[in-house]
Amino acid sequence: MIPFSLRLTVSGGREALARLVTITAAVAIGVGLLLSTFAAVNALDRVNDRQRWMNTGAAGATATAPVDRLWWEAREDYHDGRSVFRVEVAAEGPTAPVPPGLTGLPAPGEYVASPALQKLLRDTPAAELADRFPGRLAGTVGDAALPSPDSLTVVVGGTVDEVRALPGATAVTSIATTVPAECDHACFGAGVHGDSMLLILTVVAGALIFPVLVFIGTATRLSAASREQRFAAMRLVGATPGQISVVSAVESAVAAVAGTLAGFGVYSALRPLVADVPFTGDRFFVTDLGLSPAQAAGVALGVPLAAAAAARLALRRVVVSPLGVSRRVTPKPPRAWRLIPLVAGLAELGYLVVRHPSTTSGQSAGYLSGFVLVMLGLVIGGPWLTMAAARAVARRTSRPASLIAMRRLADDPKTGFRAVAGLVLALFVTTATVGIIGTINAERGTALGGDALVRKAIVDDPLLAGDSVINGDVAGTIPAVSADVAAQARAVPGFEGMALAHENPARLGAVRRGDRPLVPVLVRCSELAQIPMVGHCAPGAAVAAVDRFQFVDLQSDSGHEWPAVPISPEEVDKLPVRLIYATTDGSTPAMERLRTIFSRNYPTHVARVADDWASEAQKKLQGWRQLANVVLLTTLPIAGCGLAVSVVAGLSDRRRPFAMLRLTGAPLRLLQRVVGLESALPLLVVAALAIGTGFASAALFLRSQMGYDLASPGALYYGLTSFGIVASLGIIASTLPLLRRITGPEAARNG
Amino acid sequence: MVLLMSVPLTLLGLLEREPSHGYDLKRDYDTFFSRGKPLPYGQVYSTLGRLARDGKIVAGEAEPGDGPDRKRYVITETGATEFETWLQEPVAPEPTLQSVLFTKVVLALMLGRDAELYLDTQRAAHLRRMRELTELRRSGPLVDALLADHGLFHLEADLRWIDLTVARLDVLAAEVRS
Amino acid sequence: MTTVIEARDLALAFGETPALRGASLSVEAGEVLAVMGPSGSGKSTLLHCLAGILVPDAGEVLFNGQRIDTLPEARRSALRRDKFGFVFQFGQLVPELTAEENVALPLLLNGVRRSAALAEARPWFARLGLDGMQGRRSGELSGGQAQRVALARGLVARPQVLFADEPTGALDSLTGEQVMELMVGAAREQGTTVVLVTHEARVAAYADREAIVRDGRARTLRAESVAP
Repeated sequence: MIPFSLRLTVSGGREALARLVTITAAVAIGVGLLLSTFAAVNALDRVNDRQRWMNTGAAGATATAPVDRLWWEAREDYHDGRSVFRVEVAAEGPTAPVPPGLTGLPAPGEYVASPALQKLLRDTPAAELADRFPGRLAGTVGDAALPSPDSLTVVVGGTVDEVRALPGATAVTSIATTVPAECDHACFGAGVHGDSMLLILTVVAGALIFPVLVFIGTATRLSAASREQRFAAMRLVGATPGQISVVSAVESAVAAVAGTLAGFGVYSALRPLVADVPFTGDRFFVTDLGLSPAQAAGVALGVPLAAAAAARLALRRVVVSPLGVSRRVTPKPPRAWRLIPLVAGLAELGYLVVRHPSTTSGQSAGYLSGFVLVMLGLVIGGPWLTMAAARAVARRTSRPASLIAMRRLADDPKTGFRAVAGLVLALFVTTATVGIIGTINAERGTALGGDALVRKAIVDDPLLAGDSVINGDVAGTIPAVSADVAAQARAVPGFEGMALAHENPARLGAVRRGDRPLVPVLVRCSELAQIPMVGHCAPGAAVAAVDRFQFVDLQSDSGHEWPAVPISPEEVDKLPVRLIYATTDGSTPAMERLRTIFSRNYPTHVARVADDWASEAQKKLQGWRQLANVVLLTTLPIAGCGLAVSVVAGLSDRRRPFAMLRLTGAPLRLLQRVVGLESALPLLVVAALAIGTGFASAALFLRSQMGYDLASPGALYYGLTSFGIVASLGIIASTLPLLRRITGPEAARNG
Repeated sequence: MVLLMSVPLTLLGLLEREPSHGYDLKRDYDTFFSRGKPLPYGQVYSTLGRLARDGKIVAGEAEPGDGPDRKRYVITETGATEFETWLQEPVAPEPTLQSVLFTKVVLALMLGRDAELYLDTQRAAHLRRMRELTELRRSGPLVDALLADHGLFHLEADLRWIDLTVARLDVLAAEVRS
Repeated sequence: MTTVIEARDLALAFGETPALRGASLSVEAGEVLAVMGPSGSGKSTLLHCLAGILVPDAGEVLFNGQRIDTLPEARRSALRRDKFGFVFQFGQLVPELTAEENVALPLLLNGVRRSAALAEARPWFARLGLDGMQGRRSGELSGGQAQRVALARGLVARPQVLFADEPTGALDSLTGEQVMELMVGAAREQGTTVVLVTHEARVAAYADREAIVRDGRARTLRAESVAP
């Protein structure tokens, strides 16, 4: 029976071949995407593993080994908005542990850098970056220590004394391989949260794979009529239902096997592209994208089996009756209950606005189920909405084209909707994501990026914050800023002004905040005048007491008059410096050169600009937005293919009546309008609905979770969305020439 | 009855082809028209005798040889005219006419006449009759309608035969002329 | 009598296969003409040429004295819509539409308002014995009912010529007779000329006259004219 089925499969004529090829292509795309998703999940694990060593200095990393101690001090530095992971190391002896990716520890006076950082070092003037690292470049940090090929990582060698003197230095005997339970702000290698990322990937994969399933389904139904006829004929001459099942299962399995094989090809072609999608904020190493043998085997066996099972299900009707399906029966109309999930989902999101869950797990459960409900609701409610819209039009219209098209849609809204379901989901996901991320960006962009004045400033701040920083102790201060350093800073092109905030051991002008004293820092009024964004002195005052937090505030406060303190400027000059505040023309070279000067001279401090705060968060959000765009751009062609196939299938179903209409003088334009309307109406109706619910869900989420109002998304979103809709309409239009061909007079011949 | 009526004309037709002996006439007649019921010699000669009496054929000189009859018969102008008229005239569209129809077709083919034209003429006659019956059927009482139906079905069968024969004329002509 | 449609020496080949080779025919106003012939003789092709569906490779087709084979497709479509009606063997009803809407379709195509078109379509149901079928879809009609709906559709716009291609081909004798009865009756009542392609003599017997197509050539014979 199986060889016979195989022969039937390959010798079914052009129509059968087209069907086979379409299914194969659909399965290939689906398998490719599925494998890519698996690979992305695997890559996340590997990325997380690759950065565990960065946690070595964390307080919770307590593993020990009987070897020489390694002094370790890690910090996050920045260059032009990109984060640079920097570790200072000094070994007490030859058996000290070596981090992954290194052949040995850099000697004092040497540093090793990741390839991306080396390139940046080459491309950037030394005064802006390289001068921060003492000594010479002595080697490369290998990929084993890098989460991404774009990671900027540097390991700087120092003497034990030098490193031990750094504020965050610890002595370790092993390199961390886990995320410690307790981090104390030093878990640089925490990586991305596996669960939440997995969740996002699942949604993404769902949004990608659903259209593929629709596509496969449509392709299977392609020429279903002739196929069912053939099976019915076989039943009539005495084939048993079992034999028919074998034939159909073999047919589907052949396409599925071919598609699965091709899918592995699609996956290997997609791999470099997937690697470039910044899921975590950074690219992946292509080599991190891989499949476990179990995953590969599962897909290779599971997909053909599932296809065979699906074919078996789809043919129940024919298997039972040898007469097959001779008459067109109007399918049962969808009922209004189909709207329930959609309404429930929106209601749930609305409820969360009123009653915001207090726990994180409560929040994620609430929002996730809400979004999933809305997505399901769109898919389930789509047919009913399509039917309702079609009926409303069909009842009134006098135009034959819309009458025919709407009647068909109202008769079988499920088929009409199915063709656009994929696109609708993609639009929903994209709209919701873009709405949420765009709004967060807009809100945080101003909040985290600082205002225009602050964005031109750089503050050199103690590396470690502690009580001493606020209570006036001199621990962790810079004893004095030399005239040489000041001169270097002033010589930077674009430099505008600089002020030194001196520690205040006498606690002059201290105020109480809650139960602790808040000791201001002291700034000479002549210097404060150079950094107007922090505030100004009272007229005639010589020294002002400034709230130390104003220096790291992202909002400028130029109108603030700081109280004068009774201390002479000369005395203030003798006090140690808590932080240095400089302003520039805002150009990157000026900022980075100042940062380099400060960083080189004051290793206990770290120079920050407003952009540093924003860039990390922005990068992650940007990554998600890009992901949403990828979803839309990937889904579009797939949904488009599904749409085209279903339009063609709908056409060949009605070949004869259409041909007859044309013979009786109905212009081709009319038939084109019928086909166009049939596909375009559900597309437009449900796209509008998807976009609407997408924005509504985003708005509800933002209001509930963030307290933000939805911001209008950018031009890119509108561009992509209109591109998607226009492209889909284009696909529909591209099938229209087929009409002319299949409705020629020969299609109307009797018999 | 019909068959008997057509024997003289059939023989005239065979003679129209070429002057023949009585024996040849009987043999050709038996081959194409009698279908298992050979024409008795007696009937051949009595028919020929009647045709000669009516001036439709003339008997030639007896030729030397064995047997009682070595006369060659030739068709006359009168005979040819009568035959021609008969051949072109459609048979009355009645249910049991195949044999006459058939005889005419074969003779027309033998003589190289336009058998198709003849069949089409017959067809037209049939259809006219069918139209009459259809009209009767539409306007008359049920009994008449039923009778008309009976006639219509039979005439339709004839027409099908005519159509089939037209489609096979080439093959038939080849066989008849061989 | 005036000639409504005339075909002169039509020739048409589908690829290598000749379908018509020099077919000539004329149709008089108000008559019912049966075009007969064996399968593959080209009778449907001849009908398609007469109706301006196909354009002959050679020869002329005249409608009301005007050549239509030289008209562009759009004009011929408009002609078919406005002046011609069609009934085919099967499968001509749009399955999505109700019987009533199917009948009204030619009127809608001509831009008649929906309510007016439906009002005009409705009387046909009583006339053709289809009462109560107005709301049915083609899948819910029997073959004879569907064919009567198609007939109503062919005649509703009061065409000058009704082209019927094997209209009873998919029906049994009795149902076929009923459809023919109604077709010829309604056409005569409206003064519509009918060109009827059929291979069945009993269907052709409803016609006033017949033409035979054989091997792509048509000939008309009047039984009277050859009678002795």
